[in-house]
Amino acid sequence: MRMFNILRPDDCILAMAALIVLLTAAGCNNDPSATSSAAGKNTDKERPAFLQIGEFAVNRISPERTEVRDGAGRTLVLIPREAPMPTDCAPSQVVRVPVRRVVAYGGFDVAVLRALGVLEQTLVGVTTPKERWHVPDVKRGMESGRIAFLGDAASIDYERLKQSEPELVLTWDPSIIPLMDDLHIPVAVTTTPQAMCLNARMRFVQFLAPFFHKEPEADAFFARIDAALRDIRARTAGATRQPKVMWGDIYEKRVMVEPGNAWVGELVGLAQSNYQFEDVFGTSCIEITVERFLYSGQDADIFFTYRSRDMGATSKAALARLNPLIKDIAPLKNGRAYAPLPHYSQSADKLDEILTEISAILHPEFYPDYQLHYFAELPDADPVAVKEKNHDHI
Amino acid sequence: MKTVSARLWNRLSSINLTVALCLLLTMDLVWGYFCLNRRTALFTPLNDLGLIPWAQTYGSHNLLATGWFFLLLTLLALLAVNTFTCTTSRVAQLLRAKGPGGWQRLALRLAPHVMHYGLIVILAGYLCSYLFTQVLTSSTLTPGSHLSLPGSGSQVQLLAVEPEYYQGERLAFWKNEVIALRARLLLSDNTGQREAILSCNRPVRFQGYSLHLIDFAPKSLNGMKMKTRIDLHVRKDPGVALYLAGMALFSLGLILYFYQWIVHREAHR
Repeated sequence: MRMFNILRPDDCILAMAALIVLLTAAGCNNDPSATSSAAGKNTDKERPAFLQIGEFAVNRISPERTEVRDGAGRTLVLIPREAPMPTDCAPSQVVRVPVRRVVAYGGFDVAVLRALGVLEQTLVGVTTPKERWHVPDVKRGMESGRIAFLGDAASIDYERLKQSEPELVLTWDPSIIPLMDDLHIPVAVTTTPQAMCLNARMRFVQFLAPFFHKEPEADAFFARIDAALRDIRARTAGATRQPKVMWGDIYEKRVMVEPGNAWVGELVGLAQSNYQFEDVFGTSCIEITVERFLYSGQDADIFFTYRSRDMGATSKAALARLNPLIKDIAPLKNGRAYAPLPHYSQSADKLDEILTEISAILHPEFYPDYQLHYFAELPDADPVAVKEKNHDHI
Repeated sequence: MKTVSARLWNRLSSINLTVALCLLLTMDLVWGYFCLNRRTALFTPLNDLGLIPWAQTYGSHNLLATGWFFLLLTLLALLAVNTFTCTTSRVAQLLRAKGPGGWQRLALRLAPHVMHYGLIVILAGYLCSYLFTQVLTSSTLTPGSHLSLPGSGSQVQLLAVEPEYYQGERLAFWKNEVIALRARLLLSDNTGQREAILSCNRPVRFQGYSLHLIDFAPKSLNGMKMKTRIDLHVRKDPGVALYLAGMALFSLGLILYFYQWIVHREAHR
């Protein structure tokens, strides 16, 4: 009651009025381009002037200048190929677009180039040998010599990279930036300190699109993924059972999982399931304690391992042999375990199919007769082991 | 006209306005807590973009999540005005009625008001930082590579990275993880060269810039082998001098207040 005596109504009104005026003033902007930003659309192209994609951003300053913020928080300035060099930024920050020659470190970046329809025309260098590629365009390009293998990411042949004359390097490794600066090759870091959320994963293609003038293709890609997500939401809405999911693995003494803020965690929640590491926040493939992993594994139903078949994930028994610590987690004893197929990490251009497949794994009751394309369900024991066992019986 | 301005001054210096602003600030910060928690990536660029470019991009495109921040700025601005008018009115009163005891007594009685002015200078310093700081984001250095500081003709070279690994037994999962990192830098300008040590909470100041360690690799002896690198933010922040001055003023007020308290206590024994 005393408080009401202290606060005279006219003082409160004065405070609120000042707030409203200042807030309105803060929202106002005399710059016409910024006004169109505030409206959220460019009048000519109906495209947002500013787009935030997780930790990435695209800011269309003018038709001749777009500024993008990469995964390391660096600003790159995109200008037309024939435009004069801007004087307000370092030359290594300037990328002339559309880019015609690209070196890409990761399978994810290559898949995004494929989604934009520029892979065949622009990719000139990769850091994965031909035998480990599952993308036909890349295999063909490497066979014809158009795409060069530049060496493993940890030991790049910089002479070879220079000979490839890239106009842009897409990488997860910022340590190459000083050397690339010396070679006057701009670098875009395509990974972020925090794991990409589902929205960022879906929209990442819109971050790379301005480099190649492929914004319509990026929008179409996003619309496709969005439609897949709507379908997942609609199909699983009536789920009465919410399976518990864990995604990660133990390597020697290190336990790595996908955190709750990663797209995987969000997707699991969206598909009416429970992600066991929902409370873990941070980078993709984040390290947690063995105890936490085993605790979450006590009542989990489904386990997605990072390991593929060639890394030893051939069966539940094989996983348990690789690391006896996890042999007692519920998915290996009486649940289900899945391993990614070798082409999974190079298939980001099929994100809609991957999301649908994960949903089908979580809720097979809503996807009758679904055939897996990106994951394999692990049998209880290796076929070889079964054979030997049978043999023993004989 | 004089009456209108006098009335406005009185309203702005009202203690009731202070209470209203404090309540609004509390509610706004509760809103801000949830927004910051859920949309952290929206606010990270504020540290290097500066307030105006951030407001024109991230801020204005996500008003539901950023509205609380604009409100916070407004409330803090009003609080600063309220504090200034209230303090100035009181100081004017004290100066008019100096009373017995001379300048020493007056100085002691001004102590809380000196702290209030200090707070305003600190707030102004932070505003100045967010408005005028130049930041070179994520400048990466590998051993032997160098970085040129814009407009100064000076260079920073990374000589070596000296990580300290956890070797204890109690936290097994920290074994062989980097727990502290020292980067040895060579700073060169027209006058010569000198070495400096950069670490996580120890920025290096050079030619009006401050160099801050943001990230580094590798972070562990185990796991994926990463090449050695450090990521820096290079800042030229004109607000630092202001909020250091504000802190000095606040400390002076605090010392005077403490001294006055002791004198008062002794007088009443």
